[in-house]
Amino acid sequence: MLYLGIDVGSVSTDLVLLDHGLQVVEKHYLRTRGNPIRAIQEGFRLLADQYGDREIAACGTTGSGRQIASVLVGADVVKNEITAHAVAALELDPDVKTIIEIGGQDSKIILLRNGVVSDFAMNTVCAAGTGSFLDRQAERMGISIEEFGDYALKAETPVRIAGRCAVFAESDMIHKQQMGYNQSDIIMGLCEALVRNYLNNVGKGKDIRPKVFFQGGVAANRSMKIAFERALGFEVTVPENHKMMGAIGAAILARDAVRKRARTRFRGFSLVEKHFESKGFECEGCSNRCEVARICENGMEIGCFGDRCGIWSGRIRTCRPIADSL
Amino acid sequence: MKVTIPHMGNVYIAAKALFEGLGVDYVIPPLNSRAALEIGSLHSPEEICLPFKILVGNYIQAIEQGADTVIVTGSCGPCRFGEYSEMHMKLLRRLGYKVDFIVIDAPKSIGFKELLARISRLTAHSPGTKGRKWLALAQAVRIMGLLDAVEAKAHEKAGYEKVRGTCKNLLKKCRQEAYSCGSPDKMLDCLNGYNRMMNEVPCDRTVTPLKIAIIGEIYTVIEPFSNLYIEDKLMDRGISTRRLMTPSWWIRNTLLSPAGLNSPGIKTASRDYLPYYIGGHARECVGEAILSWKSGFDGAIQIFPMGCMPEIVSKAILPTIARDKDFPILSLVVDEMTGEAGYVTRIEAFVDMLERRRNHVVSGY
Repeated sequence: MLYLGIDVGSVSTDLVLLDHGLQVVEKHYLRTRGNPIRAIQEGFRLLADQYGDREIAACGTTGSGRQIASVLVGADVVKNEITAHAVAALELDPDVKTIIEIGGQDSKIILLRNGVVSDFAMNTVCAAGTGSFLDRQAERMGISIEEFGDYALKAETPVRIAGRCAVFAESDMIHKQQMGYNQSDIIMGLCEALVRNYLNNVGKGKDIRPKVFFQGGVAANRSMKIAFERALGFEVTVPENHKMMGAIGAAILARDAVRKRARTRFRGFSLVEKHFESKGFECEGCSNRCEVARICENGMEIGCFGDRCGIWSGRIRTCRPIADSL
Repeated sequence: MKVTIPHMGNVYIAAKALFEGLGVDYVIPPLNSRAALEIGSLHSPEEICLPFKILVGNYIQAIEQGADTVIVTGSCGPCRFGEYSEMHMKLLRRLGYKVDFIVIDAPKSIGFKELLARISRLTAHSPGTKGRKWLALAQAVRIMGLLDAVEAKAHEKAGYEKVRGTCKNLLKKCRQEAYSCGSPDKMLDCLNGYNRMMNEVPCDRTVTPLKIAIIGEIYTVIEPFSNLYIEDKLMDRGISTRRLMTPSWWIRNTLLSPAGLNSPGIKTASRDYLPYYIGGHARECVGEAILSWKSGFDGAIQIFPMGCMPEIVSKAILPTIARDKDFPILSLVVDEMTGEAGYVTRIEAFVDMLERRRNHVVSGY
């Protein structure tokens, strides 16, 4: 009996398998590279070698690609990232009060009180300070993203970087480089700027109390953790599976959903061999002109979404799970 | 003269009845879509709020269909909307369009005489008698009231309906059918019929759906295109919603405000947090948050366009209300850059949160 959780994010696609005691038995962290279907297939190929379809008792999807993933794999639950992250963190430690989550393209803060989400916020207009931006800076400086955070640990006097906007932050970094500051100090300065930006934007007016969990791909960056601790004045915990927390949450939620329903909708690992194609088109049925995405499996339509009236998305009922089992 | 009006929710249906009742030539621009917004964004200042841009799109689309006179409401209040009609006139003139504006403003700001003078610019082209014109106006106001009533019932009943989607489909049919009616009399009959049908939608009143109040800036809460059809999305999830801001509310409020008799409930409710009118509908937003908390709602969603000055003030006040009353409030900012994915994620997470909070209280964990 295993529970499968899939988190299809902008940058990474994560798959986890949890056992009966909700311990992680298998985890895969793959790059989405703008093609969620291929990423899921790649992940399934890795799992199909060791596990059979019958071992999967429940399957849940989350992340920005949760809809497409749910159509593909036959998910029991399709949940937003906020709920998924909160569920995973609470499972690990019921005392957690705040979750800082920084992913590829968005950052969130989730406040938990008495074991439920009491408030949350997401970055609104700008992606400055998220994983994609750090990726880009690491690439520009010729440092691999895995080592990027460790570079900053050597910093003695962090340089002040203007972190309000990604483009200006980059110009400011270039300017500081041209002035001759050393790389470590600049990277640490960047981390501090991103933390400042996060606390002033996403965390604005939020009562951040310990215990704080720092989740998402960016939590791998040790300097970001230190910058957060410096700014908040208390310890910040990075859970071992910080990158996979969304997927873990989806797996736990799927287990709960199947308990109510008694049967999983999981369609099996065989999708590895199938040929999937997604096409977007503009519906001309009315003046709304919705952009509809159509997913086809071996030439057969298995799901559509993006339309408002339901004329497309309502066409296939058999394999399309109801979004969010509210 | 060929008149037109910009879109705001169901106003176009009542406007059609008014123009037909008066017997004046009119154009209703195509329903709001990305096309309208794209035209609007192209010609508008970048930092201006979303309603401005959509309005420009509406005007240009209507002008292309032959409209030469725009009827729009004004407001001499401290919100930037007060200047929009002037700015729109200038902008359209600069683009080479020849178009006249009739700006209907509150009698408090421009006086009754001026208001009547402006209205007569429209009615002068009507062939009917004076009595006929008054009747057309009364019928249009009645139609607006019925549309708002049918819509409010659909939104409320969506949580209780026995077959999910009944209310949403009925509401959709109601709009389509009312709009295709040939005369104001027929439209009134049609709407009365739908009002009855809406009353008779089979409901199960024993269930306890989530109840969410929609509050915020008047245009973005009323015009579904601007808020990415939030009310439809919530109806799909079987959530009961309430929105006090409607075109009928605006008419009533505007007529009663010179005597200070407008919205007594909102005035009392907002007293502790925002006792002044600071422009736009910020005070209404704060008042509605309190009112919905008092009437047992699970939470409220505030919607406003990016850069809206009055709503930024209320946004800053709402967290205090949320804390004091333990009443979750989600603020959503919309503009032409709003990505639907992130927007839906926020709504889903908010609904989830309300659901989980409730289960928590019930189970006494």
